[in-house]
Amino acid sequence: MRLKLFIWRQKNAQDKGHMEKYPVDDVQEDMSFLEMLDVLNEKLILEGKEPVAFDHDCREGICGACSLTINGIPHGHEKGTTTCQLHMRKFKDGDTIYIEPFRAKAFPVIKDLVVDRSAFERIMQAGGFISVNTGNAIEANSLPIPKKNAELAMDAAQCIGCGACVAACPNAAAMLFVSAKVSQFALLPQGQPERKRRVLAMVNQMEKEGFGACTNFYECEAACPKQISVRFIAMMNRDYLCSRVSEPVEV
Amino acid sequence: MILINYLKSTILSKFVMAITGVILVLFVIGHCVGNLQVFLGKDAFNSYAYFLQERLGELLWLIRIGLIAAAVFHIITSVWLKFLNWGAKPTKYQVKNYVKARLTSRTMIWTGIMIFAFLTYHILHFTMGVVHPEDYNKTDYYVTNAVSVDKVNNGTLNDTEGSDECCAEGTATNAKESIINYNGSMYKVEGDEPILSERHDAYAMVISGFQKPLVSILYIIGVILLGFHLNHAIQSSFQTLGYNNPKYFPKIVAGSTILSILIVLCYIAIPISILLGLVGGRV
Repeated sequence: MRLKLFIWRQKNAQDKGHMEKYPVDDVQEDMSFLEMLDVLNEKLILEGKEPVAFDHDCREGICGACSLTINGIPHGHEKGTTTCQLHMRKFKDGDTIYIEPFRAKAFPVIKDLVVDRSAFERIMQAGGFISVNTGNAIEANSLPIPKKNAELAMDAAQCIGCGACVAACPNAAAMLFVSAKVSQFALLPQGQPERKRRVLAMVNQMEKEGFGACTNFYECEAACPKQISVRFIAMMNRDYLCSRVSEPVEV
Repeated sequence: MILINYLKSTILSKFVMAITGVILVLFVIGHCVGNLQVFLGKDAFNSYAYFLQERLGELLWLIRIGLIAAAVFHIITSVWLKFLNWGAKPTKYQVKNYVKARLTSRTMIWTGIMIFAFLTYHILHFTMGVVHPEDYNKTDYYVTNAVSVDKVNNGTLNDTEGSDECCAEGTATNAKESIINYNGSMYKVEGDEPILSERHDAYAMVISGFQKPLVSILYIIGVILLGFHLNHAIQSSFQTLGYNNPKYFPKIVAGSTILSILIVLCYIAIPISILLGLVGGRV
Protein backbone atom coordinates (compact mmCIF):
# COMPACT_ATOMS: atom_id res chain seq x y z
CA MET A 1 0.00 0.00 0.00
CA ARG A 2 1.10 3.53 -0.74
CA LEU A 3 -0.29 6.29 1.43
CA LYS A 4 -0.06 10.04 1.62
CA LEU A 5 0.05 11.18 5.25
CA PHE A 6 -0.49 14.66 6.60
CA ILE A 7 0.82 14.73 10.17
CA TRP A 8 0.71 17.48 12.79
CA ARG A 9 4.27 18.42 13.75
CA GLN A 10 4.91 20.58 16.80
CA LYS A 11 8.33 20.84 18.47
CA ASN A 12 7.02 21.60 21.96
CA ALA A 13 4.11 23.16 23.86
CA GLN A 14 5.13 26.68 22.84
CA ASP A 15 5.58 25.94 19.13
CA LYS A 16 2.72 26.95 16.83
CA GLY A 17 2.79 23.66 14.91
CA HIS A 18 1.87 22.79 11.34
CA MET A 19 0.75 19.92 9.11
CA GLU A 20 3.52 18.14 7.21
CA LYS A 21 3.21 15.80 4.26
CA TYR A 22 4.82 12.32 4.40
CA PRO A 23 4.43 9.84 1.59
CA VAL A 24 4.82 6.23 2.83
CA ASP A 25 5.29 3.21 0.63
CA ASP A 26 5.41 -0.52 1.48
CA VAL A 27 2.64 -0.38 4.08
CA GLN A 28 1.15 -3.82 4.64
CA GLU A 29 -2.55 -4.38 5.19
CA ASP A 30 -1.91 -6.44 8.32
CA MET A 31 -0.12 -3.60 10.06
CA SER A 32 -1.88 -1.70 12.78
CA PHE A 33 -2.07 2.06 12.41
CA LEU A 34 0.69 2.51 14.98
CA GLU A 35 2.92 -0.04 13.19
CA MET A 36 2.45 1.99 10.04
CA LEU A 37 3.70 5.04 11.99
CA ASP A 38 6.60 2.94 13.31
CA VAL A 39 7.59 2.21 9.70
CA LEU A 40 7.46 5.92 8.93
CA ASN A 41 9.55 6.72 12.01
CA GLU A 42 12.21 4.11 11.10
CA LYS A 43 12.48 5.78 7.73
CA LEU A 44 12.72 9.27 9.29
CA ILE A 45 15.44 8.12 11.72
CA LEU A 46 17.45 6.62 8.87
CA GLU A 47 17.15 9.90 7.03
CA GLY A 48 18.39 11.69 10.13
CA LYS A 49 15.11 13.45 10.73
CA GLU A 50 13.11 13.83 13.94
CA PRO A 51 10.61 10.93 14.28
CA VAL A 52 6.93 11.65 14.89
CA ALA A 53 6.07 11.49 18.61
CA PHE A 54 2.87 9.65 19.49
CA ASP A 55 1.44 7.97 22.61
CA HIS A 56 1.15 4.19 22.81
CA ASP A 57 1.47 1.46 25.38
CA CYS A 58 -0.33 -1.90 25.42
CA ARG A 59 -1.22 -1.93 21.72
CA GLU A 60 -4.10 -4.29 22.46
CA GLY A 61 -6.87 -1.78 22.98
CA ILE A 62 -7.19 -1.80 26.75
CA CYS A 63 -4.80 0.78 28.22
CA GLY A 64 -6.13 4.02 26.75
CA ALA A 65 -2.69 5.42 25.95
CA CYS A 66 -2.97 5.73 22.19
CA SER A 67 -4.79 8.72 20.83
CA LEU A 68 -4.65 10.39 17.37
CA THR A 69 -7.45 12.04 15.45
CA ILE A 70 -7.45 10.25 12.10
CA ASN A 71 -9.27 11.99 9.25
CA GLY A 72 -11.20 14.09 11.77
CA ILE A 73 -12.38 11.20 13.96
CA PRO A 74 -10.59 10.22 17.21
CA HIS A 75 -9.19 6.68 16.87
CA GLY A 76 -10.27 6.72 13.21
CA HIS A 77 -13.46 5.80 11.43
CA GLU A 78 -13.64 2.18 12.61
CA LYS A 79 -16.37 1.83 15.24
CA GLY A 80 -15.47 0.78 18.78
CA THR A 81 -11.73 0.55 18.10
CA THR A 82 -8.66 2.22 19.54
CA THR A 83 -5.98 3.52 17.17
CA CYS A 84 -3.69 0.60 18.01
CA GLN A 85 -6.40 -1.87 17.00
CA LEU A 86 -7.17 -0.06 13.76
CA HIS A 87 -5.62 -1.97 10.90
CA MET A 88 -4.38 -0.67 7.59
CA ARG A 89 -6.73 -3.01 5.75
CA LYS A 90 -9.44 -0.53 6.69
CA PHE A 91 -7.79 1.97 4.32
CA LYS A 92 -7.39 1.88 0.56
CA ASP A 93 -4.21 2.04 -1.48
CA GLY A 94 -3.45 5.65 -2.36
CA ASP A 95 -5.51 7.12 0.50
CA THR A 96 -4.68 10.49 1.98
CA ILE A 97 -4.77 10.35 5.79
CA TYR A 98 -4.79 13.36 8.10
CA ILE A 99 -3.34 12.67 11.56
CA GLU A 100 -3.79 15.26 14.30
CA PRO A 101 -3.50 15.24 18.08
CA PHE A 102 -6.59 15.17 20.33
CA ARG A 103 -7.72 18.80 20.48
CA ALA A 104 -8.92 20.52 23.68
CA LYS A 105 -7.77 23.39 25.85
CA ALA A 106 -7.58 20.92 28.76
CA PHE A 107 -5.36 18.58 26.67
CA PRO A 108 -2.38 20.77 25.74
CA VAL A 109 -0.04 19.37 23.07
CA ILE A 110 3.33 18.32 24.50
CA LYS A 111 4.96 17.35 21.22
CA ASP A 112 3.65 16.39 17.77
CA LEU A 113 0.74 14.03 18.45
CA VAL A 114 1.28 13.65 22.20
CA VAL A 115 -1.11 15.54 24.47
CA ASP A 116 -1.16 15.96 28.23
CA ARG A 117 -4.23 14.14 29.54
CA SER A 118 -3.47 14.54 33.24
CA ALA A 119 -6.66 16.61 33.61
CA PHE A 120 -8.43 13.22 33.64
CA GLU A 121 -6.18 12.03 36.47
CA ARG A 122 -7.08 15.10 38.55
CA ILE A 123 -10.79 14.45 37.97
CA MET A 124 -10.29 10.87 39.19
CA GLN A 125 -8.39 12.11 42.24
CA ALA A 126 -11.30 14.42 43.08
CA GLY A 127 -13.71 11.52 43.58
CA GLY A 128 -13.27 8.57 41.22
CA PHE A 129 -12.78 6.04 44.02
CA ILE A 130 -14.52 4.29 46.89
CA SER A 131 -13.23 4.25 50.44
CA VAL A 132 -13.01 0.73 51.92
CA ASN A 133 -11.02 -0.78 54.74
CA THR A 134 -8.35 -3.15 53.60
CA GLY A 135 -8.43 -6.76 54.73
CA ASN A 136 -10.20 -9.85 53.53
CA ALA A 137 -12.78 -9.44 50.79
CA ILE A 138 -16.29 -9.98 52.10
CA GLU A 139 -18.28 -13.06 51.08
CA ALA A 140 -19.67 -12.16 47.62
CA ASN A 141 -23.25 -13.28 48.25
CA SER A 142 -23.61 -11.12 51.34
CA LEU A 143 -23.86 -8.03 49.13
CA PRO A 144 -26.66 -8.59 46.62
CA ILE A 145 -26.51 -6.50 43.42
CA PRO A 146 -29.26 -6.62 40.78
CA LYS A 147 -27.91 -8.20 37.59
CA LYS A 148 -29.06 -5.22 35.51
CA ASN A 149 -27.11 -2.81 37.71
CA ALA A 150 -24.04 -5.01 37.71
CA GLU A 151 -24.06 -5.11 33.90
CA LEU A 152 -24.64 -1.38 33.53
CA ALA A 153 -21.86 -0.63 36.01
CA MET A 154 -19.56 -2.86 33.98
CA ASP A 155 -20.56 -1.04 30.79
CA ALA A 156 -19.52 2.23 32.43
CA ALA A 157 -16.38 0.68 33.87
CA GLN A 158 -15.19 -0.20 30.37
CA CYS A 159 -13.96 3.38 30.04
CA ILE A 160 -10.19 3.34 29.48
CA GLY A 161 -9.88 7.12 29.92
CA CYS A 162 -8.33 7.67 26.49
CA GLY A 163 -10.00 11.09 26.00
CA ALA A 164 -11.53 10.35 22.58
CA CYS A 165 -14.86 11.73 23.89
CA VAL A 166 -13.20 15.09 24.60
CA ALA A 167 -11.39 15.03 21.26
CA ALA A 168 -14.57 14.24 19.34
CA CYS A 169 -16.73 16.81 21.13
CA PRO A 170 -16.87 20.17 19.30
CA ASN A 171 -17.02 21.74 22.79
CA ALA A 172 -14.24 19.56 24.25
CA ALA A 173 -16.64 18.40 26.96
CA ALA A 174 -15.54 15.56 29.20
CA MET A 175 -19.08 14.55 30.12
CA LEU A 176 -18.88 10.99 28.76
CA PHE A 177 -15.67 10.23 30.64
CA VAL A 178 -16.85 11.77 33.92
CA SER A 179 -20.31 10.23 33.66
CA ALA A 180 -18.82 6.75 33.11
CA LYS A 181 -16.53 7.18 36.10
CA VAL A 182 -19.38 8.50 38.27
CA SER A 183 -21.94 5.91 37.16
CA GLN A 184 -19.75 2.83 37.62
CA PHE A 185 -19.93 3.52 41.37
CA ALA A 186 -23.37 5.14 41.53
CA LEU A 187 -24.90 1.89 40.25
CA LEU A 188 -23.29 -0.30 42.92
CA PRO A 189 -23.86 -0.49 46.69
CA GLN A 190 -20.16 0.12 47.35
CA GLY A 191 -20.48 3.52 45.70
CA GLN A 192 -23.41 4.76 47.79
CA PRO A 193 -21.71 6.32 50.87
CA GLU A 194 -19.78 8.85 48.76
CA ARG A 195 -22.24 9.05 45.88
CA LYS A 196 -23.33 12.69 46.21
CA ARG A 197 -19.96 14.01 47.24
CA ARG A 198 -18.34 12.12 44.36
CA VAL A 199 -20.50 13.51 41.56
CA LEU A 200 -20.23 17.07 42.88
CA ALA A 201 -16.44 16.87 43.33
CA MET A 202 -15.75 15.24 39.95
CA VAL A 203 -17.98 17.64 38.01
CA ASN A 204 -16.46 20.55 39.89
CA GLN A 205 -12.94 19.41 38.95
CA MET A 206 -14.05 18.80 35.34
CA GLU A 207 -15.20 22.41 35.12
CA LYS A 208 -12.00 23.72 36.72
CA GLU A 209 -9.94 21.91 34.09
CA GLY A 210 -11.60 23.94 31.35
CA PHE A 211 -13.64 21.30 29.55
CA GLY A 212 -16.68 22.61 27.67
CA ALA A 213 -20.41 22.05 28.19
CA CYS A 214 -22.43 19.20 26.76
CA THR A 215 -24.63 20.09 23.77
CA ASN A 216 -25.89 16.57 23.14
CA PHE A 217 -24.20 16.12 19.77
CA TYR A 218 -23.47 12.49 20.81
CA GLU A 219 -20.15 12.62 18.93
CA CYS A 220 -18.47 11.28 22.09
CA GLU A 221 -20.52 8.09 21.99
CA ALA A 222 -19.67 7.63 18.31
CA ALA A 223 -15.94 8.06 18.92
CA CYS A 224 -15.68 6.04 22.14
CA PRO A 225 -13.56 2.91 21.49
CA LYS A 226 -15.50 1.19 24.28
CA GLN A 227 -18.86 2.40 22.91
CA ILE A 228 -19.97 3.87 26.22
CA SER A 229 -23.51 5.22 25.94
CA VAL A 230 -24.49 8.86 26.40
CA ARG A 231 -27.15 7.39 28.64
CA PHE A 232 -24.56 7.69 31.44
CA ILE A 233 -24.47 11.44 30.83
CA ALA A 234 -28.21 11.63 31.46
CA MET A 235 -27.70 9.53 34.60
CA MET A 236 -24.97 11.87 35.80
CA ASN A 237 -27.09 14.97 35.07
CA ARG A 238 -29.82 13.48 37.25
CA ASP A 239 -27.35 12.52 39.96
CA TYR A 240 -25.72 15.94 39.89
CA LEU A 241 -28.99 17.88 40.13
CA CYS A 242 -30.25 15.70 43.00
CA SER A 243 -26.94 16.01 44.82
CA ARG A 244 -26.82 19.78 44.34
CA VAL A 245 -30.12 20.21 46.15
CA SER A 246 -29.67 17.52 48.80
CA GLU A 247 -25.96 17.50 49.67
CA PRO A 248 -25.40 19.88 52.60
CA VAL A 249 -21.60 19.78 52.43
CA GLU A 250 -19.78 22.27 50.23
CA VAL A 251 -17.45 20.45 47.86
CA MET B 1 -25.90 38.34 40.55
CA ILE B 2 -27.45 35.47 42.49
CA LEU B 3 -29.76 34.97 39.51
CA ILE B 4 -26.89 34.08 37.21
CA ASN B 5 -24.81 32.14 39.73
CA TYR B 6 -25.85 28.93 38.02
CA LEU B 7 -23.63 29.86 35.05
CA LYS B 8 -20.63 28.67 37.09
CA SER B 9 -21.77 25.11 36.51
CA THR B 10 -22.13 23.80 32.96
CA ILE B 11 -24.64 21.15 34.05
CA LEU B 12 -26.81 23.70 35.87
CA SER B 13 -26.56 25.98 32.82
CA LYS B 14 -27.75 23.16 30.60
CA PHE B 15 -30.54 22.52 33.08
CA VAL B 16 -31.65 26.15 32.76
CA MET B 17 -31.46 25.84 28.96
CA ALA B 18 -33.70 22.77 29.09
CA ILE B 19 -36.29 24.18 31.51
CA THR B 20 -36.61 27.54 29.75
CA GLY B 21 -36.66 25.67 26.44
CA VAL B 22 -39.54 23.47 27.60
CA ILE B 23 -41.49 26.60 28.65
CA LEU B 24 -40.90 28.17 25.23
CA VAL B 25 -41.86 24.97 23.37
CA LEU B 26 -45.13 24.82 25.33
CA PHE B 27 -45.79 28.41 24.27
CA VAL B 28 -44.97 27.57 20.64
CA ILE B 29 -47.52 24.73 20.73
CA GLY B 30 -50.19 26.85 22.46
CA HIS B 31 -49.62 29.76 20.09
CA CYS B 32 -49.89 27.37 17.14
CA VAL B 33 -53.23 25.97 18.30
CA GLY B 34 -54.51 29.51 18.87
CA ASN B 35 -53.35 30.69 15.46
CA LEU B 36 -55.00 27.78 13.67
CA GLN B 37 -58.35 29.31 14.67
CA VAL B 38 -57.85 31.63 11.71
CA PHE B 39 -59.33 28.74 9.71
CA LEU B 40 -62.52 28.95 11.79
CA GLY B 41 -63.23 32.42 10.48
CA LYS B 42 -63.20 36.01 11.59
CA ASP B 43 -65.57 35.76 14.50
CA ALA B 44 -63.84 32.80 16.14
CA PHE B 45 -60.38 34.32 15.66
CA ASN B 46 -61.32 37.77 16.92
CA SER B 47 -63.14 36.32 19.93
CA TYR B 48 -59.96 34.38 20.76
CA ALA B 49 -57.84 37.52 20.34
CA TYR B 50 -60.27 39.45 22.53
CA PHE B 51 -60.14 36.73 25.14
CA LEU B 52 -56.33 36.87 25.22
CA GLN B 53 -55.99 40.63 25.27
CA GLU B 54 -58.94 41.77 27.39
CA ARG B 55 -60.37 38.90 29.38
CA LEU B 56 -57.14 37.47 30.77
CA GLY B 57 -56.31 40.80 32.44
CA GLU B 58 -53.32 40.55 34.80
CA LEU B 59 -52.88 36.90 33.90
CA LEU B 60 -51.83 37.94 30.39
CA TRP B 61 -48.99 40.00 31.81
CA LEU B 62 -47.99 37.22 34.18
CA ILE B 63 -47.74 34.86 31.20
CA ARG B 64 -45.89 37.46 29.17
CA ILE B 65 -43.38 38.16 31.94
CA GLY B 66 -42.86 34.43 32.41
CA LEU B 67 -42.21 33.95 28.70
CA ILE B 68 -39.91 36.95 28.46
CA ALA B 69 -37.95 35.74 31.50
CA ALA B 70 -37.68 32.25 29.97
CA ALA B 71 -36.47 33.72 26.67
CA VAL B 72 -33.97 36.04 28.39
CA PHE B 73 -32.46 33.24 30.47
CA HIS B 74 -32.45 30.92 27.45
CA ILE B 75 -30.51 33.47 25.41
CA ILE B 76 -28.08 34.60 28.13
CA THR B 77 -27.23 31.01 29.02
CA SER B 78 -26.79 29.89 25.42
CA VAL B 79 -24.47 32.79 24.57
CA TRP B 80 -22.45 32.19 27.74
CA LEU B 81 -22.13 28.47 27.00
CA LYS B 82 -21.20 29.14 23.38
CA PHE B 83 -18.28 31.34 24.38
CA LEU B 84 -17.25 28.81 27.04
CA ASN B 85 -17.37 26.01 24.47
CA TRP B 86 -15.37 27.96 21.90
CA GLY B 87 -12.80 28.62 24.64
CA ALA B 88 -12.61 24.92 25.51
CA LYS B 89 -11.56 24.04 21.94
CA PRO B 90 -9.24 26.87 20.88
CA THR B 91 -7.53 24.88 18.09
CA LYS B 92 -9.82 23.39 15.48
CA TYR B 93 -9.03 20.27 13.50
CA GLN B 94 -7.67 20.76 9.98
CA VAL B 95 -10.01 17.98 8.89
CA LYS B 96 -13.16 17.23 10.86
CA ASN B 97 -15.67 14.48 10.23
CA TYR B 98 -18.89 14.18 12.19
CA VAL B 99 -20.45 10.82 12.90
CA LYS B 100 -23.55 11.49 14.99
CA ALA B 101 -23.82 15.29 15.15
CA ARG B 102 -26.37 16.54 12.67
CA LEU B 103 -26.68 19.85 10.89
CA THR B 104 -29.56 20.79 13.20
CA SER B 105 -27.56 20.11 16.36
CA ARG B 106 -24.44 21.91 15.14
CA THR B 107 -26.31 25.07 14.15
CA MET B 108 -28.36 25.62 17.32
CA ILE B 109 -26.76 28.97 18.16
CA TRP B 110 -27.21 30.26 14.58
CA THR B 111 -30.80 29.11 14.18
CA GLY B 112 -31.38 30.54 17.66
CA ILE B 113 -30.02 33.97 16.70
CA MET B 114 -32.05 34.00 13.48
CA ILE B 115 -35.20 32.97 15.36
CA PHE B 116 -34.58 35.82 17.81
CA ALA B 117 -34.29 38.31 14.92
CA PHE B 118 -37.47 36.96 13.35
CA LEU B 119 -39.30 37.01 16.67
CA THR B 120 -38.40 40.66 17.22
CA TYR B 121 -39.88 41.55 13.85
CA HIS B 122 -42.89 39.33 14.45
CA ILE B 123 -43.72 40.98 17.80
CA LEU B 124 -43.19 44.49 16.37
CA HIS B 125 -45.60 43.56 13.58
CA PHE B 126 -48.42 41.59 15.18
CA THR B 127 -48.19 42.34 18.91
CA MET B 128 -47.12 45.97 19.02
CA GLY B 129 -48.14 47.19 15.57
CA VAL B 130 -44.95 49.20 15.10
CA VAL B 131 -44.03 47.85 11.68
CA HIS B 132 -46.87 47.86 9.11
CA PRO B 133 -49.20 49.84 11.45
CA GLU B 134 -51.82 49.76 8.68
CA ASP B 135 -52.30 46.05 9.43
CA TYR B 136 -52.58 46.58 13.15
CA ASN B 137 -54.97 49.56 13.42
CA LYS B 138 -58.14 47.83 12.37
CA THR B 139 -61.37 47.67 14.31
CA ASP B 140 -63.91 44.90 14.25
CA TYR B 141 -67.54 45.67 15.20
CA TYR B 142 -69.43 42.73 16.46
CA VAL B 143 -72.77 41.93 17.99
CA THR B 144 -72.26 41.08 21.64
CA ASN B 145 -75.64 39.57 22.37
CA ALA B 146 -75.88 37.36 19.32
CA VAL B 147 -74.61 34.02 18.15
CA SER B 148 -73.29 33.44 14.70
CA VAL B 149 -75.48 31.25 12.48
CA ASP B 150 -74.93 29.85 9.03
CA LYS B 151 -76.05 31.81 6.05
CA VAL B 152 -79.81 31.55 5.73
CA ASN B 153 -82.53 33.21 3.75
CA ASN B 154 -81.10 36.56 2.70
CA GLY B 155 -84.48 38.15 2.09
CA THR B 156 -85.59 38.59 5.67
CA LEU B 157 -82.40 40.15 6.87
CA ASN B 158 -81.34 43.61 7.71
CA ASP B 159 -78.40 44.18 5.42
CA THR B 160 -75.71 46.33 6.97
CA GLU B 161 -72.88 44.98 4.85
CA GLY B 162 -70.10 47.41 4.14
CA SER B 163 -71.45 50.18 6.34
CA ASP B 164 -69.07 50.32 9.25
CA GLU B 165 -69.85 53.97 9.96
CA CYS B 166 -73.47 53.19 10.71
CA CYS B 167 -72.61 50.47 13.12
CA ALA B 168 -69.83 52.34 14.82
CA GLU B 169 -72.46 54.60 16.29
CA GLY B 170 -73.80 51.64 18.15
CA THR B 171 -77.21 51.20 16.57
CA ALA B 172 -78.61 48.69 14.21
CA THR B 173 -81.59 49.95 12.27
CA ASN B 174 -83.89 47.02 12.46
CA ALA B 175 -84.10 45.92 16.08
CA LYS B 176 -87.18 43.75 15.67
CA GLU B 177 -85.48 41.20 13.40
CA SER B 178 -84.13 38.20 15.19
CA ILE B 179 -81.47 37.51 12.58
CA ILE B 180 -79.14 40.16 11.29
CA ASN B 181 -76.48 40.21 8.63
CA TYR B 182 -73.29 41.89 9.61
CA ASN B 183 -70.28 41.94 7.30
CA GLY B 184 -71.59 38.87 5.54
CA SER B 185 -72.09 36.84 8.72
CA MET B 186 -75.48 35.89 10.01
CA TYR B 187 -76.22 36.50 13.64
CA LYS B 188 -79.16 35.41 15.67
CA VAL B 189 -79.88 38.08 18.26
CA GLU B 190 -80.73 36.81 21.72
CA GLY B 191 -82.15 39.98 23.32
CA ASP B 192 -84.53 42.67 22.10
CA GLU B 193 -82.04 44.50 19.98
CA PRO B 194 -78.48 43.88 18.83
CA ILE B 195 -75.73 45.61 20.79
CA LEU B 196 -72.63 46.41 18.82
CA SER B 197 -69.15 46.55 20.36
CA GLU B 198 -65.68 47.30 19.10
CA ARG B 199 -62.67 45.04 19.30
CA HIS B 200 -59.25 44.81 17.72
CA ASP B 201 -59.58 43.19 14.32
CA ALA B 202 -56.81 40.61 14.70
CA TYR B 203 -58.24 38.58 11.82
CA ALA B 204 -57.96 41.45 9.34
CA MET B 205 -54.48 42.16 10.70
CA VAL B 206 -53.35 38.60 10.02
CA ILE B 207 -54.95 38.49 6.57
CA SER B 208 -53.64 41.83 5.35
CA GLY B 209 -50.26 41.09 6.94
CA PHE B 210 -49.82 37.76 5.21
CA GLN B 211 -51.23 39.02 1.92
CA LYS B 212 -47.87 40.78 1.57
CA PRO B 213 -45.67 38.09 0.01
CA LEU B 214 -42.51 39.39 1.70
CA VAL B 215 -44.08 39.18 5.17
CA SER B 216 -45.29 35.66 4.46
CA ILE B 217 -41.93 34.50 3.13
CA LEU B 218 -40.11 35.92 6.17
CA TYR B 219 -42.62 34.16 8.40
CA ILE B 220 -42.20 30.84 6.61
CA ILE B 221 -38.41 31.08 6.82
CA GLY B 222 -38.63 31.98 10.51
CA VAL B 223 -40.87 29.02 11.26
CA ILE B 224 -38.67 26.58 9.32
CA LEU B 225 -35.65 27.79 11.32
CA LEU B 226 -37.69 27.20 14.46
CA GLY B 227 -38.37 23.66 13.22
CA PHE B 228 -34.64 23.03 12.76
CA HIS B 229 -34.02 24.35 16.27
CA LEU B 230 -36.77 22.24 17.85
CA ASN B 231 -35.73 19.08 16.04
CA HIS B 232 -32.58 18.96 18.14
CA ALA B 233 -33.95 20.84 21.15
CA ILE B 234 -36.88 18.65 22.17
CA GLN B 235 -34.97 15.37 22.46
CA SER B 236 -31.98 17.23 23.87
CA SER B 237 -34.03 18.54 26.79
CA PHE B 238 -34.89 14.97 27.82
CA GLN B 239 -31.19 14.02 27.84
CA THR B 240 -30.20 17.12 29.80
CA LEU B 241 -32.94 16.65 32.37
CA GLY B 242 -31.67 13.13 32.89
CA TYR B 243 -34.14 10.99 30.99
CA ASN B 244 -32.40 8.63 28.58
CA ASN B 245 -33.88 5.17 28.69
CA PRO B 246 -32.62 2.79 25.97
CA LYS B 247 -36.16 1.61 25.29
CA TYR B 248 -37.88 4.97 24.97
CA PHE B 249 -35.13 7.37 23.95
CA PRO B 250 -35.13 6.37 20.23
CA LYS B 251 -38.88 7.08 20.30
CA ILE B 252 -38.24 10.47 21.91
CA VAL B 253 -35.73 11.32 19.17
CA ALA B 254 -38.22 10.31 16.47
CA GLY B 255 -41.02 12.12 18.30
CA SER B 256 -38.88 15.26 18.47
CA THR B 257 -38.53 15.24 14.68
CA ILE B 258 -42.21 14.49 14.08
CA LEU B 259 -43.37 17.19 16.52
CA SER B 260 -41.08 19.82 15.02
CA ILE B 261 -42.26 19.00 11.48
CA LEU B 262 -45.89 19.11 12.65
CA ILE B 263 -45.34 22.51 14.30
CA VAL B 264 -43.75 23.87 11.11
CA LEU B 265 -46.59 22.55 8.91
CA CYS B 266 -49.31 23.97 11.16
CA TYR B 267 -47.68 27.39 11.30
CA ILE B 268 -46.88 27.74 7.60
CA ALA B 269 -50.36 26.54 6.62
CA ILE B 270 -51.63 29.98 7.67
CA PRO B 271 -49.59 32.31 5.39
CA ILE B 272 -49.77 29.78 2.54
CA SER B 273 -53.58 29.57 2.70
CA ILE B 274 -53.82 33.34 2.86
CA LEU B 275 -51.46 33.84 -0.08
CA LEU B 276 -53.45 31.29 -2.09
CA GLY B 277 -56.65 33.12 -1.18
CA LEU B 278 -58.15 30.12 0.62
CA VAL B 279 -58.59 32.14 3.81
CA GLY B 280 -59.50 35.78 4.19
CA GLY B 281 -62.27 36.23 1.66
CA ARG B 282 -64.26 38.60 3.81
CA VAL B 283 -61.84 41.03 5.38
